[in-house]
Amino acid sequence: MRDTVRNRLVPYFLMGPGLIWLILFFVIPLGYMGELSLRSGTLGNFVFDWNFGNYTDSLSRFDSQFLRTFIYAGTATLLALLISYPLAYAIAFRGGRWKNALLLAVVVPFFTTYLIRTIAWQTILGDSGFVVDTLKTLSLLGDDGRLLATPTAVIAGLTYNFLPFMILPIYASLERIDVRLIEAAKDLYSSSRQAFWRVTFPISAPGVVAGTLLTFIPAAGDYVNAFYLGSTNQAMIGNRIQALYLSERDYPTAAALSFTMMVAILIAVFIYIRFAGSEALMGEEDER
Amino acid sequence: MTHQGIETARPLTRLALAALGLAASLVLVACGDSGGLSESGSDDVSTAEAEGEASGTLTISNWPFYIDKQTVPDFEEETGLTVDYTEDVNDNNEFFGKVQPQLENGEAGGRDIMVVTDWMAKKMYDLGYLQNLDQDAIEPAKENLVGSLESPQFDPEREFSMPWQAGMTGLVVNTAEAPDVTSINDLFDPQYKGKVEMLTEMRDTVPLVMKADGVDPADASTEDWMAAIDKIGEAAESGQIRKFTGNDYTRDLANGDVVAVIGWSGDAVQLQADNPDIQFVMPDEGCMIWGDNMVIPVGAPNPTAAYEWMNYVYDPENQAQIADYNYYLTPVAGTQEILEEQGSDAAESDLVFPDEEFTADCSTQTDPPGDEEDIQEVEQAFQDVLTGA
Repeated sequence: MRDTVRNRLVPYFLMGPGLIWLILFFVIPLGYMGELSLRSGTLGNFVFDWNFGNYTDSLSRFDSQFLRTFIYAGTATLLALLISYPLAYAIAFRGGRWKNALLLAVVVPFFTTYLIRTIAWQTILGDSGFVVDTLKTLSLLGDDGRLLATPTAVIAGLTYNFLPFMILPIYASLERIDVRLIEAAKDLYSSSRQAFWRVTFPISAPGVVAGTLLTFIPAAGDYVNAFYLGSTNQAMIGNRIQALYLSERDYPTAAALSFTMMVAILIAVFIYIRFAGSEALMGEEDER
Repeated sequence: MTHQGIETARPLTRLALAALGLAASLVLVACGDSGGLSESGSDDVSTAEAEGEASGTLTISNWPFYIDKQTVPDFEEETGLTVDYTEDVNDNNEFFGKVQPQLENGEAGGRDIMVVTDWMAKKMYDLGYLQNLDQDAIEPAKENLVGSLESPQFDPEREFSMPWQAGMTGLVVNTAEAPDVTSINDLFDPQYKGKVEMLTEMRDTVPLVMKADGVDPADASTEDWMAAIDKIGEAAESGQIRKFTGNDYTRDLANGDVVAVIGWSGDAVQLQADNPDIQFVMPDEGCMIWGDNMVIPVGAPNPTAAYEWMNYVYDPENQAQIADYNYYLTPVAGTQEILEEQGSDAAESDLVFPDEEFTADCSTQTDPPGDEEDIQEVEQAFQDVLTGA
C-alpha cells in the first residue's frame, strides 16, 4: 500500500527541480506581469483595480501594429525557409568534405553581436549605398526611392537575423536521411521530383517545422530591426511595448500588450502545428 | 504502472491545474505589496553630504557629443580620481525608463552624476529619485554660475541641479542639398519628402511645430499640443518625415540619408568637421532653449567625487576646453574671455554666446499644460505618432 503511494509520488519528486525552476523564473514573473497589467493610474501611483480595460485598449489601439507584426514575421519566415532549404540541402547532400566548413561559414557571421549586424545593414541599405544605387540603375527602384525606413528593409533584416535558426534544424534533419531510401524510391520508378516530395521532404519536415517556429516566434517579438531599419510606419508590437515602458511609462498597458501578444503567438503556433506540423513532428519520425 | 498518476491526468485537468497555478501566483503577488512603484514625496529629500577628500571612482552618465576627449583625463590627473564616463543618455524618456526601476529601489546603478534636461530633472526630483546638493561643497562652482541660470523655474534655489550646458533646438541643415530651409514649415515641403527627420524629444519637436504655426508654446493649450502632434502625425504617415531620432540623427545627416532635421545647436558644429555644408539654422520663427543639468541620484556611491567634478568643470579655464568642443551655451561666467585669449572661434560663435537679437524669438522648454494625467495624454498621442498607431 505505502509502496504504491511512494511510487506514485516518485515521478513528481523527480520533476521537482524542473518545476521549481519553472515556477521561480516563469510562473512568478508572469504573475507579477499579470498583476501589473490589471493596474491603472500614472507612474508612481499605479493602483491594482482589476482594470481589464488595458486588454481591450491594447487590442483596439494597436491593431495595425499587430497586423504588421504578423505580416512581417510571416514574410521573413517564408523568405528564410526559401533561402535555407536549398542551402541546407546543398550542404547536406553536396557538401562532401566541405560540409563542416560550409556550416561554419553559415554560423560564424552570427558570432558578431546582433545589434552591430543590424546597424551594419543601415550602411548597406543607405540612400547612397551600393544596393540602392544598383537597384536604381536597374530601374527596380524609382529615382527618389529608398530602402531604409521601408518595410522591405525591416523584413530583410528579420530574414537575415534569424536565418541560422532556420538553416540548422533543416540541415540536421536532412543530414540524417538514409540515402538508400531515395535510391529505393528511384528503383521503384519515381522521378527525382517525386522522390523529393514523397521521401526527402516528408522526412525533413520536422526540421522545417522546428525552423519555422524558431524563426517566427523571435521575429514576431523583435523590435531592433524595425527600430534601426524601419520608421514610424514600420513599428512592430515590440516597438510599441518599448515605447509604452520606456517613453510613456504606462507599465500596465505595456504588460497587457505583452500578454496579448503572447496569446496571439500561442494561438498562431497552435494552429500551425495543428494543421502543418503534428504529423511531421510526431508521426513519420518514429517509423524510421 | 507507476506513472499512472501523470499519464491519466486528462488534458483538461492539466490545463485547469496550470490555470490554477497561474491564478495562485497572481493572488500571491497581489497580496504582498509588490508595488515597487509607490508614491514618494519630495518632502524627505536627503542631501548628498560631501565627506573629506574625494577619492575612488566617479561614474557619470551623459549625452553623446557633450565633452571633449581631454577634460576627463585632465581631471583624473589633477585629482587622482578614476572617472567612468558613459554616454548612455540618448533621449530623456528612454534613459528614465532604463534607470527608473533602480532609482525606485534607491539604487543609482553606480552612477554619481546623471545629466538630464530641466523637465526631467524636476520629474525625477518629484519622484524622490534625486538628492539635494551639498551647497557648501559646490560653493566654488556656484560662484561662477552665470546669473541667467541661477534660479530657473524648475529649481529656483538650484538645490538639486547644476547646469551642464544649455542649448538651442532648431534646424540642422545640409545647406548644399537644402539651401532654402529656413523655417520649421519648410520641413513639410514635399520636395524634401523622406529627407527630413524630427526629434523623439517631444518638448523640442512639438513646440517648434507650434511656433511655426504662430502658437506661443508658453501659453499653448492641450488642444494646441494635440493639433501640432496631428500635423506631425500626418507628415509621418505620408512618409514626409523619414523617422524620429535622438542624437543619432547626426549619423543620418553625415551619410547623406537626410538633408534637414530638427536638431541641437552644438551637434551641427561637430558635424561640420566632416562636412562644412552642415549648419545650424535658426528657424525664422525662433528656437527652443533648454538646459541640461548635473544631478545626483539617490544611492550615488561617491557624491564627494561628484562635487569635485562640478567644481572642476565650473572653473572657466576647464570650461573653455569643453565649450570649445561642444559649442553649446556655457553656464560658466568668464569662459568667453578665456576663449578670446586663446583665439578660439567659439568666443565669436552665436551658438555659444548668442546676442539677444539672435535668440529674440526663442522659447524656453516647458511641459504640456495641466496635471500629470493631461501630460500623459499628450505624451501618449506623441508616442502613437512615433510608432505609427
